[in-house]
Amino acid sequence: MVALDIQELHKSFFIPTVKLDTLREHVLNSFKLRKYFRNRRELRVLSGVSFSVQAGETVGIMGRNGSGKSTLLKIITGIYQPDRGEVRCTIPITPILDLGVGWNPELDAVDNIYLLGTVMGLTLRELKTAKDDILEFAGLQEFSRLELKHYSSGMAMRLAYSVAFRAVRGLLILDEVFAVGDMEFKERCYKRYEEIRQAGHTVLMVSHNPLDIGRFCDHAILIEGGKIVLEGNGEEIARAYVQSLTS
Amino acid sequence: MKTKTIINNPPGAYLPGLIWTLIRTDFKTRYHGTLGGYLWALVKPLTMFVVLYAVFSVIFTMDPNYSVNLIIGLFLWDFFSEATKTGFLSLQAKTFLLTKTKFPSWVVVLTSVSSALITVIIFSIATCIYIAISRHHLGLLEISCFGLYVFLFLVIIIGISLAGSVLFLRYRDINQIWELLMQVGFFFTPIIYPLDIVPHKLHFFMYAWLPTAVIQFSRSVLVKGEIPTLTAHLMLVGSAAIVLFAGTFLYCRLAPHALERL
Repeated sequence: MVALDIQELHKSFFIPTVKLDTLREHVLNSFKLRKYFRNRRELRVLSGVSFSVQAGETVGIMGRNGSGKSTLLKIITGIYQPDRGEVRCTIPITPILDLGVGWNPELDAVDNIYLLGTVMGLTLRELKTAKDDILEFAGLQEFSRLELKHYSSGMAMRLAYSVAFRAVRGLLILDEVFAVGDMEFKERCYKRYEEIRQAGHTVLMVSHNPLDIGRFCDHAILIEGGKIVLEGNGEEIARAYVQSLTS
Repeated sequence: MKTKTIINNPPGAYLPGLIWTLIRTDFKTRYHGTLGGYLWALVKPLTMFVVLYAVFSVIFTMDPNYSVNLIIGLFLWDFFSEATKTGFLSLQAKTFLLTKTKFPSWVVVLTSVSSALITVIIFSIATCIYIAISRHHLGLLEISCFGLYVFLFLVIIIGISLAGSVLFLRYRDINQIWELLMQVGFFFTPIIYPLDIVPHKLHFFMYAWLPTAVIQFSRSVLVKGEIPTLTAHLMLVGSAAIVLFAGTFLYCRLAPHALERL
């Protein structure tokens, strides 16, 4: 069964060479229309990207910075709208595009678990039962009532990771947030990730790490300049990515 | 090829929890670390009341209900002003959420008015108790009508906030213009002066500014015990529906691409 089908996705951003924020700037610039339009440069981020992901499959996306990976994930997630093309997803999406999104440093860990968990689509009832597990996975039970501003960055990342991976539904979308923390916690993350795969979740992951793509992805794509330049299994794409960096 | 994004997430299940959590955390952090806590939200309109009452009660000595009319006008205006100002900035204030995860962005606009709503509810209860104890009996009909006006005011505020929040992302001056409008609106609305001192032929224009209608209707039922006509009610309900519809329409049209400006 196809879980995600992407057909001919196009996306451009218009980058103004002169930034127009205020009404005054807009009004003044409307008197010099030709100059206004000449001052906007089209940046093509995606040009006809098509691929599909089967249910239960893990697909990796590799590419240099600025190649369009994050924009692609934001369109799939629904944060950005495509200019042209179609995204069809038949299962619920859990996007993890950034760890700790929505953190409020003035609140303690428990309040932040509720905040982040509800934003990621968990109900209050689910969070009530999952709260202790989340703290235990992060190894932060004794700091549950400590405000987040007093956490080290590593502790905050561990908590964020624990909440995010608790909220996984059908299709998990990961943008460079595969494993965090020290070696011990990273191993725990990999183990948790294997559990997610075995539970039959579909995963779409962006990573610059060839080892992660080679180890976990059934299938992968390499993006350059907003186009898919190569498709293959995880190891092939990981090798091709490393070669593209060194050549 | 048509442009279409289909995300098959089960929609409603987590929304009540999300709305409740956003309201709760917003409320918690707003007064976090302050000794006075939530009292600060009540002190502001009360201080305004004391100052204005001290100055203008000398001028409007003929009106025995001046103080009650003033406090009703003030707290309803404060609700309108605070809630819309927060609503305009709501999407911008939650950039960190909206650009990194997917959930209905209107929830952010909706929850942004919660703090002002809590304040107006507290003031409403306190004012009703004060009137019932010291002035005259308040029946269920009067209280229900007043509740309806506050609800319609909320509908109007949500409509304005929905439109303002997406327009603000495109035109950053909108926020400044709205604050200016709020300053002028405070004196245009009959808050510190009775509507009767304004020539009757101008009343239509004053009622066209919806805060005037809500404040005058509320004063009418709470202070005079008079229920406005059915036509007046229908006009207020219709106006609120139009504002909400226009705001929602604008929001739905602009929000998908406006979020790219965050």
